[in-house]
Amino acid sequence: MSIVLCRIDDRLIHGQVVIGWGRAMAIDLIILVDDQVATSDWEQELYRMAVAPEIEVRFVTLADAALHMADWQSNGKRGLMLTGDVETMATLRTSNPEVVQRINLGGIHHRPGRRERLPFLYLTDQELRSLQLLEAGGAIITAQDLPTTPPVALKSLA
Amino acid sequence: MLRLFAVQGTWNYERMLGVGMGYAAEPLLEDLKAVDPVRHGEAVARSAEFFNCNPNLAGLALGAVTRAEYEDIPGPQIARLRTALCSPLGAMGDELFWAGLVPALMGAALVGVVLGAGWWAIAGFILAYNGIRLWTSYWSLRLGMQSGMRVGSAIGASWLPRAIELIGPVAAFTIGAALPLVAAWYLTAFGWPAGIGAAGVTMAGIALTRWFAPFLTPVRFALAAMIFLVILRRVGV
Repeated sequence: MSIVLCRIDDRLIHGQVVIGWGRAMAIDLIILVDDQVATSDWEQELYRMAVAPEIEVRFVTLADAALHMADWQSNGKRGLMLTGDVETMATLRTSNPEVVQRINLGGIHHRPGRRERLPFLYLTDQELRSLQLLEAGGAIITAQDLPTTPPVALKSLA
Repeated sequence: MLRLFAVQGTWNYERMLGVGMGYAAEPLLEDLKAVDPVRHGEAVARSAEFFNCNPNLAGLALGAVTRAEYEDIPGPQIARLRTALCSPLGAMGDELFWAGLVPALMGAALVGVVLGAGWWAIAGFILAYNGIRLWTSYWSLRLGMQSGMRVGSAIGASWLPRAIELIGPVAAFTIGAALPLVAAWYLTAFGWPAGIGAAGVTMAGIALTRWFAPFLTPVRFALAAMIFLVILRRVGV
């Protein structure tokens, strides 16, 4: 099928991703785009434990993701592409705007410099500006932690 | 170990279990103070940063991270270990406890009540659930302390994955056994009309929760149905 969800979540693969979105959208492929996890066997082992065996998990670097996104769009699987930060998703959007059309802000948590925008979403002003630029370029961006909660438009997070 | 019982005591969106983990880690990190006071300060601060998982398996993360601090693993790597542990400990703990053990024991307790065990069945449920929960917390902390950065392999080789596979069918069996028994127990006194009404509400629930998924979950439907039935009763229908 295609990449059906592009999500930013700094907890990476966890229950909301696998059960919340995975079951609701019948996901059978999770692509985690993270340069550090892509080269760390012990981290991959831990993230795989959270996923049912029938769901394929791929750990890829940002460079590999940019190269292969078009293939994933037509490989017959329903994919969820996941990044841990805004910057990585912005780069993916620049690489292939057709694949990264809609961006789901699923969970970005507290860190010095970030401000609470929603209970599950903390952003620095710079991160918010990056997202606004992506939206101005045609991306559709909403904050929504689970499919059962209503999506919140980016413009109401400022 | 005792401090792990309060791991959710300061739950908040900013750090979730983080402060509770820091509170539980503080005595475990005490010996580091004499060896390396600077490292001790960093370790205590790190232990209270954002963290989230199923509280019953939090001991695995607490133990593994504590051991990693004593083994002088670089701070950024320990932070990544904490982040990576959120995922499997959340998913595995939720499957084992919330989707497995709790419904399995509740089903068994309901069967016990219907068959005449009364309050003994309720007491058995409370004792069994809390006994398993306490033992799992103890086991988690111990395994985490033994394995440190190798905690992923240790979890994979433990009883946990097998228990998760088994508990799902057990829960389905006990709930499947309890539902008709409890329904018959409740509805016998009201005769056929009540049975037909209950079957109608069940069928409507199955259809509507599929039709309006994911917004209309079974829990939301059950709450709406209960409110609807209370209103009908109030107006005398």
